[in-house]
Amino acid sequence: MNDRRRQTLMRIVGDRSRSPARMRRAACGATLAVALLLALLAPAGAQAHPLGNFTVNRLSIVSVSTDRVDVRWILDQAEIPTFQERGRRAADILAAKRDEALRGLRLHIDDKLAALRPTSPGRISFPAGQGGLRTTRVDLVLTARVRDASRVTLRDTTFGDRLGWRSIIAAAGDGTATRSSLPATEPTRRLRSYPVTLLDSPADQRVITLTVGPGDNRLVAPRADGSGLMSTGNRVNDGFAGLFGDAAAGEGTLILLLLAAFGWGALHALSPGHGKAMVATYLVGARGTARHAVMLGATVTVTHTIGVFALGIVTLALSQYLLPEDLYPWLNLIAGLLVLLVGAIVLRARIRTSPHHHHGHDHSQGDDHSPGHDHSHGDDHSHGHDHQDSGRHHHHAPQSLRPRALLAAGAAAGLIPCPSALVVLLGAIAQHEIALGLLLIIVFSLGLAATLTALGIAVVCARGLSGRWRPTGRAAHAIAAAPAISAVLIVALGCLLTARAVPAII
Amino acid sequence: MRPLLIVCGSAFAVSLAVLALTVASGPQRPEAEAMSLRVTAAAAGRGSTDQRVARLQTAVRAQPADAEGLVALGSALLQRARETGDASDYLRAERAIDDALARDRSNAGAYTARGALRLARHDFRGALRDGLRARRLAPEVVKSFGVVVDANVELGRYEAAGQALQRMIDLKPNLDAYARVSYVRELHGDRPGARQALALALAAGGEAPENVAYVQTLQGNLELARGRQAVARRAYRAALVRAPRYVPARVGLARTDAAAGRLREAIARLRSIVARLPLPGYVVLLGETELAAGRSVAARRTFDLVRVQQRLLARAGFNSDVELAIFEADHGDRNRGLALARAAWRSAPSVRSADALGWALTRAGPPRQGLAWGRRALRLGSRDASFLYHAGMSARAAGERRLSASLLRRALRADPHFSALHVGRARRALNAL
Repeated sequence: MNDRRRQTLMRIVGDRSRSPARMRRAACGATLAVALLLALLAPAGAQAHPLGNFTVNRLSIVSVSTDRVDVRWILDQAEIPTFQERGRRAADILAAKRDEALRGLRLHIDDKLAALRPTSPGRISFPAGQGGLRTTRVDLVLTARVRDASRVTLRDTTFGDRLGWRSIIAAAGDGTATRSSLPATEPTRRLRSYPVTLLDSPADQRVITLTVGPGDNRLVAPRADGSGLMSTGNRVNDGFAGLFGDAAAGEGTLILLLLAAFGWGALHALSPGHGKAMVATYLVGARGTARHAVMLGATVTVTHTIGVFALGIVTLALSQYLLPEDLYPWLNLIAGLLVLLVGAIVLRARIRTSPHHHHGHDHSQGDDHSPGHDHSHGDDHSHGHDHQDSGRHHHHAPQSLRPRALLAAGAAAGLIPCPSALVVLLGAIAQHEIALGLLLIIVFSLGLAATLTALGIAVVCARGLSGRWRPTGRAAHAIAAAPAISAVLIVALGCLLTARAVPAII
Repeated sequence: MRPLLIVCGSAFAVSLAVLALTVASGPQRPEAEAMSLRVTAAAAGRGSTDQRVARLQTAVRAQPADAEGLVALGSALLQRARETGDASDYLRAERAIDDALARDRSNAGAYTARGALRLARHDFRGALRDGLRARRLAPEVVKSFGVVVDANVELGRYEAAGQALQRMIDLKPNLDAYARVSYVRELHGDRPGARQALALALAAGGEAPENVAYVQTLQGNLELARGRQAVARRAYRAALVRAPRYVPARVGLARTDAAAGRLREAIARLRSIVARLPLPGYVVLLGETELAAGRSVAARRTFDLVRVQQRLLARAGFNSDVELAIFEADHGDRNRGLALARAAWRSAPSVRSADALGWALTRAGPPRQGLAWGRRALRLGSRDASFLYHAGMSARAAGERRLSASLLRRALRADPHFSALHVGRARRALNAL
């Protein structure tokens, strides 16, 4: 039984290590952006514990603000110590770790011992490790309410002399200028990968000293390689900003992620499976102006973001009551099945309509927004109900362009969250980077809106020039072929996601 | 429309390409390496060795092409790995040594260091090759002899080990040499000689505090076997003064407690050791002590941990551990124990492996074969109580009552407290005979 499980894990690891080549080969497919994003966000837990099976690794991130001192404390505990705690409830383990942190983190402010308090229960999860075993990951924020601290010392004595990485870094706080005795960066991506380099030893940082004065969230810290000081501005240690810091520490991947999310959103808007481009072009093409196009874009962005966010918030809320490690595998599975389902639906629709695509005057996109068609199901009477089952509920576009109607159309287009956007969000959640997921969704929606708006404007302009626009030649072929390709890719992706999610549940 | 499509498409393609490149050059490599070898980071128990490592790292940074500097760094990292149990230092040491060999194919020190690394990884044949090569390249440097001796001992070539050791002593009678003399004498049943050699080793002194602590711990073990618990305790404490947190000495203190019948204290000590450094041997010791104290539920939990460790070790490619073979024979899957013992014998045909194989055979199948291997383990005249106990129990299972009684009696005379658990079994078996 264990053997079987181990093999499964190995296979997943193998898949992942091969993925870049596969990705590059198929980079033409829009849907593959999802896979790429997932590859970056994929749970790292399926690998061997990088630091050995019995290590207890801890990282403290200290930031001093005008009214408080925050310590974000992260624990990454390898397979053996996790196994030694088997049979205990996750909440009990989390409480024990919190007690250990409260006991072991000694915070001195202006040479007086200050009490740290947890601001929330903290998070615990059990990422998969080697040999079918689990590891433990704890993330806590502890706070000491102290005004205008000027000299802050944190000593980490947690877990005595247990083997493991032990690191303390500084982060900028609100309304202060901080000078740190230790670097502000660390190479493990928050205890997720551990470098083994010849010329460095495992981190063993036990004390940090911060000198603090009033300022604009500035931090001066030694460089990690010992070559002088570096200064950072405006980096706060929580929420999105902290996340920026995280991703920035990961060598600019955040920018690329955002870029990809934007680009994908932009291209995704062209995919007819969701009909957004159609709605936009239809509406705008009918009677709209450039202003309408912009408005519509804005509406879609907002509603789409809200739609996905709502789902994210539900997930977050659930994670307060349910143990995250119980939730994530199921969310992964649901995401996988969802993608599979959507892929199947889209594919079915494509198969049904595909013969028509070869006729010069096809209806897939261009038809819908031909001016003069004020029937919302513009193509119905000529080609039956081919499209109705492919998720285009947002066809009920109003015929006049009163602002309210426009808003409603935008809302309808945006409110149904794209499953692939959902996948990104769920992937991020699986990686315990919920905030990053939400951010990606915003950017995705922005990309979506950008295309819709641009498309709308283009149509308005084109209409201004020629009175009428239809896709012709290659553009028409590209648009006609895109749905089928993307449907197949969505199905493949759904299979992949489901296959990955299953071993974590059984 | 078309320009827009093209612009959109190409912007996206560019972002995809960049993303693909970052993924491709991302942190995949270290993970793969971590898979192939268990890697551990340590944050404890570092003293002067740590400073030495840091100094040598600075030197190598300044002169990365200097093979000697790389070898010195590799050796220092090996020493630190010994002290802390941090296996990631083995990985670093390996890189340093490989770098050195890439710059200088005939560097004797590099081969010696690689031999030491291979010993630590239980690749005894590879270690022997490296040791012999280093000795050929620099016949008057004593360090390579240590590798040759250790590898020969583990491979059961006691003649060759003895000869190399003699030359080592002749060249440079230092702590390394005397500590090995002590071990070889012990294997041959010469305990007074072993004690004497340890005294000489201590007098010679070592480079690092850990070296001295190691010898003091060996002293403690010998005294404990003789039943001189107070002397043993002093030796362990002396080792801990040299190297605080030196785990083998703490294990010695726990065993002293157990020998004195203070099982509760012994268990507490072992628990704290296992919490910090859960090496299989220590975990087995804890479980057996718990069993001896009648805490069978706790023992079962402890033994589960050993099984998990074994699973992880097997995944990392270690399938031939003598300790795990005996553990499986005693408390687990006897056939698995036999397989482990056979593999151990194949990779290291020493008396220790013979003992494990004999015991595994007795537990899993024909005790007569087990007895034959148990005798083979005793062929050097060893007075190791475990060897004698295993052979005695094998003889009993094979129906050789007289032989069994004599072997068990010798085991209890060799060390009346050799195991909190098995001493009782040995006594009961003896009384029943």
